[in-house]
Amino acid sequence: MKHENGEDLRLLQLQFIGKILAGFTHEIKNYLAIIKESNGLIEDLISLGKTSQGDSEQYLEITRSIEEYIEKTNNLFRYLNRFAHRMDSQLATFNLNETLEELIALVTRFANQKKISIGKDFQEDIPPIYSNPSLVQFVAFSFLHEKIKNLDNNSKITIQTAAAENTVKLRIIPEGNFLKGNDDSPSITYEKLEKIIKQLGGNIVQEKEKETLITLAMNSP
Amino acid sequence: MPQTKLLLVDDEVEFASALAERLQLRGYDVKTANNALEALALIHTHLPDVIILDLKIPGMDGIETLKTIKKIDSTIEVIMLTGHGDVQSVAEGMKSGVFEYIMKPVDIGELTVKIDNAMKKRTKEQ
Repeated sequence: MKHENGEDLRLLQLQFIGKILAGFTHEIKNYLAIIKESNGLIEDLISLGKTSQGDSEQYLEITRSIEEYIEKTNNLFRYLNRFAHRMDSQLATFNLNETLEELIALVTRFANQKKISIGKDFQEDIPPIYSNPSLVQFVAFSFLHEKIKNLDNNSKITIQTAAAENTVKLRIIPEGNFLKGNDDSPSITYEKLEKIIKQLGGNIVQEKEKETLITLAMNSP
Repeated sequence: MPQTKLLLVDDEVEFASALAERLQLRGYDVKTANNALEALALIHTHLPDVIILDLKIPGMDGIETLKTIKKIDSTIEVIMLTGHGDVQSVAEGMKSGVFEYIMKPVDIGELTVKIDNAMKKRTKEQ
């Protein structure tokens, strides 16, 4: 499939959103399943009369688990909400670290399937940039997802950010073996991704063998 | 009927332990595994009658795990845990000998009915 025009790009962005939503709903279902079973266990213990004074620690442990998963559910919803709002305007001032943080939260499920850990090495005081946040997320996702797909189990990916002169740099660093025979090219062509980033005043470099460095202008042209 | 021996395979530790305890309270003999390799090892030591297997477990694809289980002992019945939208995997699982499917979050009543039906089928076949 060629991605020569805007219509193709929109289709690929829709596929990206679809993947994010599929991962999100699957993860939420898992969290709800944990909450439901934990709640059901308390109900069982009470209704089957298996309770005694000494069981209070077990109850507290179960309620803590419920609390933890409600918190996780809430966080994931918060990330999804922020992700959705990235599409509100084509150009906006935003913090690159925050956009990547929500992207990582939303793709973690794909990585967990292969026990691939995603680490963050963000420059904390990175300045805000004026660019297209949803397109930046889309490009970052394209590279990140391909690396997850092609890396062997138990690998690691580090996402690094840094500011330099009038640019911010995003580096995606894989550590681990790449699966042989897998097509490691992104589902969208490299040229297309490069074109998107060029339009935003930046560039992409495939460093070493598998590392990706995306440079973005602080102010989109 | 003898006590049904279950093996529950799910990488969500809290989910597996809470569900296992609920099933134990209902009279089942339950062991849990959090990945495919652990599950395959437990088949030899625990000798389960029914395996409740999450479709998406790390280490080995759920369908691949199912095929391996059936190679070890084709009479072990497998109930697959699945999220919505896994239509392709459901079809593939059916072809590979899955007894039943159940969606997450699980309804414990529905699950126990499926476990008992699976056990009846296994007893008949043995």
